[in-house]
Amino acid sequence: MSSLSSSSLRILSPKFPSKPSCFLWKSLSFLPSRSLLLSSPISFQPLPRSSPLPQPLRAQPQQREEEQTAGVDLSLLPPKLRDIIVLFQSVSEPKAKYQQLLHYGARLPPLDPAFKNEEHRVRGCVSQVWVRAFIDPEDAAAVRFEADSDSVLTKGLAALLVLGLSGSPAPVIARVPPDFVHLLGLRQSLTPSRNNGFLNMLKLMQQKALQLHADAADFKDSEALGPDRLDTNTKDEFFEGKDPILGGKANEMSTGPDSVVNGGRNSPGYHASEVEERLEEDRDAVDMTPISPQAASGGRRERMIERLERGLCPVSLEVEDISHLHASHAAVRGSAGGETHFNVRVISREFEGKSLVKRHRLIYELLQEELQSGLHALSIDAKAPSEAQSS
Amino acid sequence: MAALCHFPSAPSSPRLFPLSRLLSPVSRASKQPQHLLLAASPIENSIPNASTAGSRLRCFSSSPNAAASPVTLPSDERESRSLGDITRPDFPILRQVVNGFNLVYLDNAATSQKPSAVLDVLNEYYETYNSNVHRGVHYLSAKATDAYEEARTKVATFVNAMDRREIVFTRNATEAINLVAYSWGLSNLRSGDEILLTVAEHHSAIVPWQIVAKKTGAILKYVGLTKEEVPDLDLLKGLLSKNTKLVVTHHVSNVLGSVLPIDDIVVWSHNVGAKVLVDACQSVPHMIVDVQKLGVDFLVASSHKMCGPTGVGFLYGKIELLSSMPPFLGGGEMISDVFQDYSTYAEPPSRFEAGTPAIGEAIGLGAAIDYLSSISMQTIHNYEVELSNYLYHSLCSVPNLHIYGPAPSETVHRAALCSFNVEKIHPTDIATFLDEQHGVAIRSGHHCAQPLHRALGVTSSARASLYFYNTKEEVDAFTQALKDTIDFFTSAL
Repeated sequence: MSSLSSSSLRILSPKFPSKPSCFLWKSLSFLPSRSLLLSSPISFQPLPRSSPLPQPLRAQPQQREEEQTAGVDLSLLPPKLRDIIVLFQSVSEPKAKYQQLLHYGARLPPLDPAFKNEEHRVRGCVSQVWVRAFIDPEDAAAVRFEADSDSVLTKGLAALLVLGLSGSPAPVIARVPPDFVHLLGLRQSLTPSRNNGFLNMLKLMQQKALQLHADAADFKDSEALGPDRLDTNTKDEFFEGKDPILGGKANEMSTGPDSVVNGGRNSPGYHASEVEERLEEDRDAVDMTPISPQAASGGRRERMIERLERGLCPVSLEVEDISHLHASHAAVRGSAGGETHFNVRVISREFEGKSLVKRHRLIYELLQEELQSGLHALSIDAKAPSEAQSS
Repeated sequence: MAALCHFPSAPSSPRLFPLSRLLSPVSRASKQPQHLLLAASPIENSIPNASTAGSRLRCFSSSPNAAASPVTLPSDERESRSLGDITRPDFPILRQVVNGFNLVYLDNAATSQKPSAVLDVLNEYYETYNSNVHRGVHYLSAKATDAYEEARTKVATFVNAMDRREIVFTRNATEAINLVAYSWGLSNLRSGDEILLTVAEHHSAIVPWQIVAKKTGAILKYVGLTKEEVPDLDLLKGLLSKNTKLVVTHHVSNVLGSVLPIDDIVVWSHNVGAKVLVDACQSVPHMIVDVQKLGVDFLVASSHKMCGPTGVGFLYGKIELLSSMPPFLGGGEMISDVFQDYSTYAEPPSRFEAGTPAIGEAIGLGAAIDYLSSISMQTIHNYEVELSNYLYHSLCSVPNLHIYGPAPSETVHRAALCSFNVEKIHPTDIATFLDEQHGVAIRSGHHCAQPLHRALGVTSSARASLYFYNTKEEVDAFTQALKDTIDFFTSAL
């Protein structure tokens, strides 16, 4: 609005932020070309220049970066994607990052022209981008991708996604948060908009993966698999995911052909709006999560306690089976009698100085086997001794 | 100009007068005022950057003696300051650092920047006399109404409309075209009638007519391009027939940079009984546009492309046409009397201005017109012709680069914009890299002209578009950055 624009220009000159202004600018009405900035698939944070920038200009970029990267939940990222992130982080010079991106793009195998059609085209890219998803011929649970673009930078981004996500199961892919891109040092807008190429690419890949997954599950269904197939009701899960007591659902990275994926999501690490978005998307997607027949037959609580004690040397530990509270929940149906939902309250020195995300990740790692064998959800309360109230 | 002001303090634009006083001497290449200017702005040769705080630059005073002692520049005495150098200080937004580089804003065809003069007027409106127009009787409302109507008069004068009632304020040019389409189009077009457009039209000049054609059974016909990449005027003449009821055409193309002879087109069209609607978005901000001389029936433009605020634009329509047209949007303001089962409508322009208008913005547009006029559109145009040639020839020096539209010559003038493609490099890659690694803002995409791009045989292009506050130095910076960008992508592949 005009008065807004004029008053914000008042505070313009020395104090106006530079890089993060890209985001600020996007919301101001007099921004020259919205579509240029939003549809630009990537942008990098430059190295601090030796130009005479007054202090405030420099301070803000770092703050912004920290805000953006702090929220990213690494446990949601497939290992291959994490490797790519590490690689990008080791490259600090922006131009070199670009070159790295272009290399990824060049490595991408060409996409069969037959797939360069509307069905595979990503909407909202100024350049043309096509994405194809298919079931891994060697691993029915994994999804593979192919992609191409006429813009090399976009192709590079697509390559990151293809290489980072291929081989993972659909539900894992579906849960990859778009803000991981911040960890690459690529300043990429994540504002949902018809012009956001990167976001739309990721979403399309996630949609296609879930579609494949649903089709496969349907197919299995028609072959009458039996009670082991989970009939997950995504709606319930997501509401649980928003449980204010840090309702964290078990999350699993695929590690091998027999890996099992559970439903649900980990709410820390998402911004509220992204959770909303996911809710919207996933309500439409059919999320069938097959569970492998190796269900645990009792003793889970004991095993969990043992593992957590070994790994965390806790000052205090409580593990409570609350599966009965979720008995009506569709996810539980079909899995061997309970032992799917637990409350975990632990106080340990291991948590000192670690972020919430890191603490949860620690616990998930310790409980990996359980998560792979029917443990659905954890509600975690992880404190360091200095934080614990007298209880 | 209607004499409207009868209050103690009329809305004012303080920075206009010194500018005009300073400018006219410069255009006669006199030395004295140059020193004045040098004293006023500490910026030397390079593009001003954020470290020289904006407020200090705006020290143009109305009295030449108020300037500090002249700064002696090491530069050539013959080198006079360009219009770009002179006007830049009026645009605070241009003094900033983007991605670590001084901003080089070359996306003016998308939207223009606003001078402080306009921003001050906007602020003054909201701070001192914001009030609904045409409705109240109290002091503020009278003042707002007068300022709003004065803005209408300014627009009318700016395009030399015969009557101020021929200016209808809309949200932008797109809305203005839709107004004509839904109001004039729906009530005048019948099955079999033809609407003639060029393939180079902006989507806003195409889509409303597609919608109306569907409803009325009218047919759309398109004029293609010549091999010089301009609309084929012979083809246009050939396509005109007794069935043609409307010709919709741009004045200046936002992609090709070409200028059409509107006066001729109007003559040819009127000969077959067709009306002419001109999309003047890229011409009104850059040159003198005289609707009476051109003879157009309808003309549209947007404020935000001519240093005015977003949210307002206008439709010019001949008064007899507007008077015969039914309303577009219904609501308050456009009525005369309202009963339960019917209403009677107001006369134009009110008939087409339903609801509370963008009052402050229209007044801001008036201020923009004042600002532009104080420089004079002829001066702006002359400078831009220079810039246009400079840009074109700079880009010609870049290998493997193709510029769309006609080559400039004695007879062919281009607008100060170039849409181009570089072989084997996607325009989005170019635009991204230019922005990220050089702080240069250009546009990539189809520029709301998909049919045109298809006619050119491409999916998208890059576009650099200039305005009178851009400088040759900026064009140099852009060209250099472009070469660097091309090097990067060619070597990386």
